[in-house]
Amino acid sequence: MIRLGEIAVLQATSVREARNKIRAVAEMALEDSVAATRLATATSELGRLILNSGPSSRIEVGIDGDAAGRHLYLDFFGGESNRRIGRLANFFDGLRDSMNDSGEAFVRGVTLLPGVGRPPQELIDHLRSIVEQKSRDELMTEIQTKNLELQESLDNLRQTRSAKDRMESELNIGREIQMSMLPLTFPAFPDRSDFDVHAGLYPAREVGGDFYDLFLIDDHHFCYCVGDVSGKGVPAALFMAVTKTLIKSRAANDLSPASILSHVNTELSHNNDSCMFVTIFLGILDVKTGETVFTNAGHNPPYLKRANGELVPLDQRHGPIIGAAEGLAYREDVETLAPGDCLFLFTDGVTEAMDEDVRLYGDQRLIDVLNAHDFTSTEGLVQAAVDDVWEYQGNAEQADDVTVMAVAYFGAVDDSGVHRIELTAANRLEEIDVINKNFNDFAEEHGVPEAIRRRVNLVFDELLNNIISYAYGDDDEHVVEVVISLAGDRLGVTITDDGRAFNPFEGVPPDTDLAVDDRPIGGLGVHLVQNVMDHVAYERHGTKNVVSLTKIIEQEDEGKKGEKPR
Amino acid sequence: MKLETTTIDAVTVVEMEGNLDTNTSVDAQDYINGLIDGGSTKLLTDFTKVDFVSSAGLRVLLATAKKLGGSGGSLRICGLNEAVNEVFEISGFSTILEVFSSRDDAMQGF
Repeated sequence: MIRLGEIAVLQATSVREARNKIRAVAEMALEDSVAATRLATATSELGRLILNSGPSSRIEVGIDGDAAGRHLYLDFFGGESNRRIGRLANFFDGLRDSMNDSGEAFVRGVTLLPGVGRPPQELIDHLRSIVEQKSRDELMTEIQTKNLELQESLDNLRQTRSAKDRMESELNIGREIQMSMLPLTFPAFPDRSDFDVHAGLYPAREVGGDFYDLFLIDDHHFCYCVGDVSGKGVPAALFMAVTKTLIKSRAANDLSPASILSHVNTELSHNNDSCMFVTIFLGILDVKTGETVFTNAGHNPPYLKRANGELVPLDQRHGPIIGAAEGLAYREDVETLAPGDCLFLFTDGVTEAMDEDVRLYGDQRLIDVLNAHDFTSTEGLVQAAVDDVWEYQGNAEQADDVTVMAVAYFGAVDDSGVHRIELTAANRLEEIDVINKNFNDFAEEHGVPEAIRRRVNLVFDELLNNIISYAYGDDDEHVVEVVISLAGDRLGVTITDDGRAFNPFEGVPPDTDLAVDDRPIGGLGVHLVQNVMDHVAYERHGTKNVVSLTKIIEQEDEGKKGEKPR
Repeated sequence: MKLETTTIDAVTVVEMEGNLDTNTSVDAQDYINGLIDGGSTKLLTDFTKVDFVSSAGLRVLLATAKKLGGSGGSLRICGLNEAVNEVFEISGFSTILEVFSSRDDAMQGF
């Protein structure tokens, strides 16, 4: 007999895997799928009988062939009782008890195969590869063993590697944490025409704890900051993470940079045994007025590049570095940006970059670059500044993180002709009807086409249903805020709830190609919302989920009103 | 939502009026289940007076189609407005359910 291999049968899942393997083997060897299914069924039955009878439970698979015919052998090891085997006899061409050379008892099921003579080597190889395929359980065991080995070698490594190596790997982890926290998608606010922002952080190999953040606090307050944490590696990265989180959660309900940083400073200074600190420039821009309030806590003063080309340093100081002393009250200043003005923020990695002769880049060179740059976009300005640093640095090693950010103000959007309503709903399903009713009145009043109105009705039904049904872990009353705005051809909807953090647009879209009987019920709503709207976005602001949706009202929609569906 | 039933030949025509959404789908499902339990096997839902349909409404239609299909009957749908039609297209329901543009078309050979 030519041995094809063995399949361990140690768990319920391995019975199923054995069944699948035997089916595949039989299909190939028998060329008869009905017979193959019969064998697979027999394997399940016998597999269950030998299951749980000890560590040697297995099915050995073999094949042979001579002038008289060919046979497939399935030997079931481990079953102590043969009484129930009898009824399985008709699944095989022969079924008998047997014993191997080591005295192990087994039940052998024989199946006649088509053809005569020794089976071709190609077939044998193929069958062998099916049988020997690693089962999930085997793989799991293997992975666990590998993990243990890995753990062991890691332990060894930890003990033997030099201090320098260890430090390097820790720096890498810190670096990963640092980079994973940055908003890296630009343009960050593609649907905003009133302002734009671009930022870049280029990490140094060793030192450096730079970070930046940029987010909308509400519809017209844009928060931006650039900072630099003392220290390096994991502790610095974690300190940075905490700083960033504290700022963002505080800013959700506080529009004063001075107040935000005073609060963050107190939090960070308290029990700051590691004596780490952070320099930071934090600003909040009101895009309706162009006014930006800012606080500089020990950071490099940014520059304001006016639309007329003038370059103004924002060099007011509002308090010391953050994290050093509890209870400090930071101050703030206001600067009004005119349309076309651009703020340029950076870290000392820029001005302290060094060339091959270890000379500093310096403030003057940065001023020259900013003066010379013909501003067209925030991305262009960021790129120009960074390129100049690289040019200056030449082949010298980058000593510190280099971070730059450009915030441009383009002027408030003309909101004459902007219609807006703010609605609230309690967390009861009946309230969906109230929102839809109010929206319908709004739509009618401002001539929103029927076809658009109906799609937005659908959106409210889906999203409010989700929030009301799933967002809250308690039985308390909650308020969902709905803001609807119509500006020209742009219909905007914002839905804000204080439920648990949940991004509805993160899930996997349902398979819409399945037939009626295969269709699972549910999972469609968000998919519909994403498709009927032109733009959807989710953000977590402090303790609130904010979903923003936009629908562009195309002129032809008007004509489609009376059109018959296809 | 208003639901009205007329029987034409062996076809039970359900005329819906309003929205088939979160708040109306339970009643609509009960109503339709009542018709099926009462012996209706050929069901035509006329959406001419339906404003919009959300996924909760689609669930009703899917459940109805499965229920009828299981007992040898079938569900036909007609009279979708543009927004409802889009929902059917996006969800793939226009290919898995029998959708007709008018009641007359739907009655043909039913």
